[in-house]
Amino acid sequence: MENNMLSVKNLHATVEGKEILRGINLEVKAGEVHAIMGPNGSGKSTLASVLAGNEKFTVTEGSVEFLGHDLLSMSIEDRARLGLFLGFQYPVEIPGVTMANFMKLAVNEQRKYRGEEPLSAAEFLRLMKEKSAVVELSSKLTARAVNEGFSGGEKKKNEIFQMAMLDPKLAILDETDSGLDIDALRIVATGVTKLHTAENATVVITHYQRLLDYIVPDVVHVLYKGRIIYTGDKTLALKLEREGYDWLINEYDR
Amino acid sequence: MERVLEIIGALRKAGPELFRVETPVPQAYAAVDPDHLRVELAAGAAAQLVVLHMKAEVTRLDVELADGAQFDLTEIFLGETFAEIALKQEARSCCRVTTVSLTSANASYRIDLNGRGATNELNGVFLATGKDHCVVRLHTAHNVPDCTSASCVKGVADDEAVGEFSGLVYVAPDAQQTDARQQSRNVLLGERARIETMPQLEIYADDVKCSHGATVGQMDSDAILYMRQRGLSEAQARALQIEGFVGDIVRRCGVESLGEALMQLATEKLER
Amino acid sequence: MAENEKEILENLGEQEYKYGFTSAIETETLGKGLSEEVVRQISAKKGEPDWMTQRRVAAYRHWLTLEPPTWAHLRIPQIDFQDIIYYAAPKARKTLGSMDEVDPELKRTFDRLGIPLEEQMALAGVAVDAVMDSVSVKTTFKETLAEKGIIFCSISEALRDHPDLVKKYLGSVVPYTDNFYAALNAAVFSDGSFCYIPKGVRCPMELSTYFRINAAGTGQFERTLIVADEGAYVSYLEGCTAPQRDENQLHAAVVEIVVERDAEVKYSTVQNWYPGDKEGRGGIYNFVTKRGLCRENARLSWTQVETGSAITWKYPSCILAGDNSVGEFYSVAMTNNYQQADTGTKMIHIGRNTRSRIVSKGISAGQSENSYRGLVRVAKGAEHARNYSQCDSLLIGDKCGAHTFPVIDSRNRTAVVEHEATTSKISDDQLFYCNQRGLSTEDAVGLIVNGYAREVLAKLPMEFAVEAQKLLALQLEGTVG
Repeated sequence: MENNMLSVKNLHATVEGKEILRGINLEVKAGEVHAIMGPNGSGKSTLASVLAGNEKFTVTEGSVEFLGHDLLSMSIEDRARLGLFLGFQYPVEIPGVTMANFMKLAVNEQRKYRGEEPLSAAEFLRLMKEKSAVVELSSKLTARAVNEGFSGGEKKKNEIFQMAMLDPKLAILDETDSGLDIDALRIVATGVTKLHTAENATVVITHYQRLLDYIVPDVVHVLYKGRIIYTGDKTLALKLEREGYDWLINEYDR
Repeated sequence: MERVLEIIGALRKAGPELFRVETPVPQAYAAVDPDHLRVELAAGAAAQLVVLHMKAEVTRLDVELADGAQFDLTEIFLGETFAEIALKQEARSCCRVTTVSLTSANASYRIDLNGRGATNELNGVFLATGKDHCVVRLHTAHNVPDCTSASCVKGVADDEAVGEFSGLVYVAPDAQQTDARQQSRNVLLGERARIETMPQLEIYADDVKCSHGATVGQMDSDAILYMRQRGLSEAQARALQIEGFVGDIVRRCGVESLGEALMQLATEKLER
Repeated sequence: MAENEKEILENLGEQEYKYGFTSAIETETLGKGLSEEVVRQISAKKGEPDWMTQRRVAAYRHWLTLEPPTWAHLRIPQIDFQDIIYYAAPKARKTLGSMDEVDPELKRTFDRLGIPLEEQMALAGVAVDAVMDSVSVKTTFKETLAEKGIIFCSISEALRDHPDLVKKYLGSVVPYTDNFYAALNAAVFSDGSFCYIPKGVRCPMELSTYFRINAAGTGQFERTLIVADEGAYVSYLEGCTAPQRDENQLHAAVVEIVVERDAEVKYSTVQNWYPGDKEGRGGIYNFVTKRGLCRENARLSWTQVETGSAITWKYPSCILAGDNSVGEFYSVAMTNNYQQADTGTKMIHIGRNTRSRIVSKGISAGQSENSYRGLVRVAKGAEHARNYSQCDSLLIGDKCGAHTFPVIDSRNRTAVVEHEATTSKISDDQLFYCNQRGLSTEDAVGLIVNGYAREVLAKLPMEFAVEAQKLLALQLEGTVG
């Protein structure tokens, strides 16, 4: 148990009084890739938001331990600084704030949290250049305002670029494949794979098997009505692709 | 503050009463707390002028741009000045105005486009904090056909401050082919702050393109959440957001490096 | 047209309207001029209770201290308030023998608007007993409403039969201190309509079909009071698309609407008073105060199509006092020849989560002046208030004016207020394109203008919308080409 990176126990969460998560249990170890699948409205994105600390949701029961910390008692930014990265399904546009300025602050806040010296301008620029290559992000985009006027594909690439910059321990990628054409999907997925090491872990939330062709999961979970109703290996994703969710759901609902 | 004074101090002095330019090669000038400054640009002349207002007094600026003149005016309000600025533009003259208020100043601009093909672009920012009361007034008159004007004034009101904008675009009868745009964008930060905006159009010609827009709102909270997820504190995220909101205009301030120095000043004011 | 029209106007009043809905028609008239004595006499003649007389007198005294407002973008000739008759019989009409006697110009207008023959007759003052028994229409109508407990009658009747309701609500939304014309109206109002929808009742019909005929003869100081009690709903239609002729130059009406918790009121107006002739002579001065008060979760929607009057001064407003209440204003204002209009709305956000939407479409042609004037105010406590305003102007010809004067005053940082305005013209390319497809220029202009105003017209009840569309096209005749 001690090499557990993330340990979610009986997690319940509500939004506007409605219970969305109804007892989630999940263990993620360093070096693992997990995929969370499930039909629309099953609570996948909510799980990601709750782990990241979105205050729209209220945790009513359960606990989450992340790298030995009580995650639920931490602020959004401290969770991020500790090494939890959420790749947004809909990355937010921040008018007038340049990518460079934004990332410089984010990287240095993380360093400060770890007790490290801030990067010099030159070091930072070098890092930007190096990491933007991971997802083939044009340097033109890094000079622009955060996500402003980016295409859908560019926004998702930008998420992975930021993941590369911040080098998280645990990356939760919420529907990172949605709205991507096949080339962008390949670039994004390859980027994620490149960033994967034995020391970090990735949780991929997705609808489709196609992303899992690139990012091969160790464990596949099916989320339904706020609970993980089935857990299997990578073959489960293929079976779901072929047969849909009905066989699982029918069994569960019965 | 010192940095701003230093940059402005290094520029050539304009005035004190008359600033006349004949050369087509633009050079940067500065005036600090002018009482009543007259600016005249001869046909085809070009110049850049930075006016710094530090004192709580009444000031007047009269600008006349002859045919084809090009003028870049930056006005910085660091004192509670009551300023009246009148700009008269002849044919094909081009004027770019940037105005930044970091205190309770009252700035009234009257722009008369009197010659065909004249263009005016005005960008403004006011940051009202504490008990500030910032006022920006703008009256743009399209008196002849074929002129273009575009203005964008961004306001931020925090604490108990009041921000006021009123802008009128007037299009005279027969001033056809007018292209006039006006934007008033405002953010309320303080619980007891107030924004009042009056963007107005008065149009007497039909073949024109005129539009205005006004918004009063708050900063996007999703963006704050997004930035916090990347490790920024809430205060940092907010500061960055406000900087993003007004930065494009503040950084536009005529002379190189002045924009950055002003932005620094603006950020300090907001953090206080 | 002018001559015939004059004749008709002159003949008005010569004979009483045989089938008027008012039970007793007063023939008595007080002389010209206004004094406290006149105000008391009006009240006495109407047999009003003492408190009503006192209110009228108080309003009159207040009015004496006021000056006519001058802030609007209007040129208003001096009005001699002592040269007006403040109490007269409801406008009587000459009864014509048949449709053949009606002014052919007027008839043509009716036909173009597609107004049913029965109504044409009623509006033109033709005896209609053979065609439509108006009294029985009224009776059936009243029975249906009475079953639901809905009160719909004249203000005079309401003062007699439901004094407590009138006392409670009259002047509660538009107090006589509000403005010059509201004070005048409060002092001398002749009559008007009263409508009360009890708790939880949905008014089963639009209060219109019967009313629009009846309303044709209402006086110059009309007073309307609509109360939708908790959870009630009513759609109320004012006015008429047919041209309304009235020799009273000054109209200063007041409309008050109280929308209680969870209730909804839709108020639609088509205003087509006499705009004056092509040289700008004559025409109605329409200075109206309209305002509604919304309690919790209430909704008030103003829709107006303003094509008439020489001068229009009108700002139907919503006071969004209750949390989650919603105010809407949809307006098409068209001016032609020498008409002047200064119209818009006020949205006063007081409650939390209050929302408002403003869509204003101005159309100026000829030598007219058309202004939108609006106020969106967000009070300190109006958490998460939201407003969106869209104000467009369409200019037809280069002698007219189109203006936009919005004011936004926000004192709550969680509120979001947005305003946008554009101006445009009907382009030669658009006309050429339509002409090439076989449309006449007039039809093309009508088509384009209706497209431009569609968002607002769509808010009108179906039949009204069709008539309003035709009305716009009609008013635009001869403006292009």
